[in-house]
Amino acid sequence: MSKGVLVNLTKCIGCGGCTVACKMYNDNKWVDDRSPSSGENAQLADENWTVVKQFKLFKNDDTQVWRFVKHQCLHCQSPSCVSACFARAFQKTDEGAVVYFPDNCVGCRYCMIACPFKVPKFEWQTPIPVVTKCVMCYGRLKDGKSPACVSVCPEGVMKFGERESLLREAKETIANDSRYVKHIYGEEEAGGTSWIYISDVPFEKIGFNTNVVKKPLPSYTSFYMKCTPIFGAIWVIILTAFYFITKRRNTIKKQSAELSYKKTTENNSDQNQNLPENKIVDKKIE
Amino acid sequence: MVFELGEENSDLSGAGGCEPCQVDESEGDSGAESVEVSRRGFLKLAGFGAAVGATVGVSGGCDADLGLVAKNPSGGGGWLPDQYNASGNFPVQVRGRVPIDPTNPSIKRDDQKCILCGQCVEVCSKVETVMHNYELPLIDDIPCVCCGQCTLWCPTGAISEVDDTHLLMRAIEDPNLHVVIQTAPSTRVALGEEFGLPVGTNVEGCQVAALNRIGVDKIFDTNFSADLTIMEEGTELVKRITGEIKTPLPQLTSCCPGWVKFCEYFYPDLIPHLSSAKSPMTMLGAMIKTYYAEKSNIDPKKIFSVAIMPCTAKKFEAIRPEMNHSGIKNGDPTIRDIDLVLTTRELAKLIKRVGLDFVNLPPMKYDSLLSEYSGAGAIFGVTGGVMEAAVRTAYHLLAGEPPKSLLNLEPVRGLAGVKEAKLNIPNVGDVKIAVVSGLHNSHKILERIRNGSGDWHFVEFMACPGGCISGGGQPRSAVPPSDAVRSARINSLYSADEKSTIRLSHENHEIKTIYKDYLGKPNGELPHELLHTHYTDRSKHLTAKIKKTGSEEK
Repeated sequence: MSKGVLVNLTKCIGCGGCTVACKMYNDNKWVDDRSPSSGENAQLADENWTVVKQFKLFKNDDTQVWRFVKHQCLHCQSPSCVSACFARAFQKTDEGAVVYFPDNCVGCRYCMIACPFKVPKFEWQTPIPVVTKCVMCYGRLKDGKSPACVSVCPEGVMKFGERESLLREAKETIANDSRYVKHIYGEEEAGGTSWIYISDVPFEKIGFNTNVVKKPLPSYTSFYMKCTPIFGAIWVIILTAFYFITKRRNTIKKQSAELSYKKTTENNSDQNQNLPENKIVDKKIE
Repeated sequence: MVFELGEENSDLSGAGGCEPCQVDESEGDSGAESVEVSRRGFLKLAGFGAAVGATVGVSGGCDADLGLVAKNPSGGGGWLPDQYNASGNFPVQVRGRVPIDPTNPSIKRDDQKCILCGQCVEVCSKVETVMHNYELPLIDDIPCVCCGQCTLWCPTGAISEVDDTHLLMRAIEDPNLHVVIQTAPSTRVALGEEFGLPVGTNVEGCQVAALNRIGVDKIFDTNFSADLTIMEEGTELVKRITGEIKTPLPQLTSCCPGWVKFCEYFYPDLIPHLSSAKSPMTMLGAMIKTYYAEKSNIDPKKIFSVAIMPCTAKKFEAIRPEMNHSGIKNGDPTIRDIDLVLTTRELAKLIKRVGLDFVNLPPMKYDSLLSEYSGAGAIFGVTGGVMEAAVRTAYHLLAGEPPKSLLNLEPVRGLAGVKEAKLNIPNVGDVKIAVVSGLHNSHKILERIRNGSGDWHFVEFMACPGGCISGGGQPRSAVPPSDAVRSARINSLYSADEKSTIRLSHENHEIKTIYKDYLGKPNGELPHELLHTHYTDRSKHLTAKIKKTGSEEK
């Protein structure tokens, strides 16, 4: 049931309409003076949830080609930002979107370290900052609408649908057309992503991180993280046990002290009547 | 000594081990109850709170269902045009926007104003047939013919011409530069609209006066070089028809830079058909830095040549590398024929910025030498105008008599996209002509020329529907441009033609003088050096979609 988007990078003409749609729908500010949302210097930022970056590269080492790459959150199937966030500010929904609840965020920025694609950005310019990122237009998604950027694309670069069927379509496309690189970016990267890409130029040449592990990143830590409640429970048991042991020992000591004091007072009642009581107790305990 | 905190050890309190905090103890009010907060009690409370928090957090208490936290994920605070709010994955018919290269010399876009209405895509792909008419992926260019129609269709003004007004002001302020300006035939019938005058008002005199007040040194009229173009292009046509030069027929006009770039992109095989004559703007540019510079004894390097055009593509034409014919003639290839092109809208902006009362300016006349024009030159800004003007002179050249019957060539007038006519010229026979405006109308004609089934002698192309009067640099008097506005401007130019005493380009006195004194014969050696150009095959920058409709329809 998980939704996804298939991005065919060969069709992108770099109009940047998707970045405008993102800003319009999410009411984000234009911050082109510090981080442009399109062009050769385009970069994701707190206000840029999606960007279209231009690459001028050489294909087959002789002919220069221009390619435009849309970049946004890839919405991992097993998102590491979700697993890193202890405040539950990130949540993977049934629709496939990794949504972000700013009210939960404590601003620790673990998500930024956890993300293999460096997507979450921090509002460094704001007095009370939170993290921001693309949420796949969750408000539209849950109504069955495609994300804003997908709906406005004049060239049909992006296709919205069930991830499984998009994956099949992508496989068919790259198998039937020799121009395409025989790789679907996002099929296996970081355990698979909801947004998948096909391209006619190698992905590493157009800014994709191709060193991402295929294994879902949270799976590296999930065993240890699962052990933490048991670990905690064991500690509670151990410490409670220690508490009772110590308490019992103290009670015994107290009782024996009282007992020995009783005996002493009975034996030396005549000689030690003038001495203060507690001084004798201290002496005996020592 | 062993200590245990808490109430159980209260027996030690007397020894000062753990003294309970006493509240209200000192106050003598008998009604007040004393509340004791022990250290142990406080820690218990804090511990309990932490335990609850941890439990809620770990057990998923942040799920929206529990209502413990805000239910609002980030994003979605804005809006999208209604056409994009359909459920499902339906592609909207009118959507997105045209791509604009940041280095585009003609047009730019303010992203903050764009509302993704899709109008620019409509005009680019359907009226000018550029976008969506090349195969993807792109090669190394964002194909654009720079026509600027998108600037007229954009309802928010997000797309506009590249504003170069500051460059003119800088040149005027520079005492070393001699600023010479020329104005296109169709700016005079549109500029007034920016100042509240009725659509189509001819403000020729006020325009000259305004430029004079802004501080330009010399003001010439591109209408003059329109006549010059007719002399060159008409002569070339006659030579093609008589077989004197071995270039193929039909001859295609070359004065519209949008059309020329379109031809270079999509029909590079038809480049030999293009007239080698330059456009009126660049012809006048070349004349200013050679003929005028010689006559008035000014160093061509110190002349700053500006053109006021109804067109954004002229900005591109001016920076074409080959447009330095005057520079080559003067021995310095860095000298450009045209240094700066401003659109009609930019001129209006400048006039407003300077603060002139444009409407009430006393009209002035153009400076002599390169400004006299015939009625034929005046109608260059209208679709069919170049054709009509060329036919008048070509008739004279071929038949040797004045073309009395052709002074009002009705079949090529009007706003139809494709107009055809057949003329009987003595000594030659039938001459077939066609006039195309709006690039979407060109495909049928071009496909027929390509496969040899078109038997025209001369075809005029204008990228913008209606010709230059509705060019991409003209005032936005109707958004999108309407035929009412186009017709008003067209009628204004035709009436200027009718009022003029000289209606044939070759009868223009200044044209006669310039050929006698300087250029020699039309299509001669010097005219070829200064007034003719060559074209670039741009088809390697895109993969044109094969047009099936054109060949099927024939």
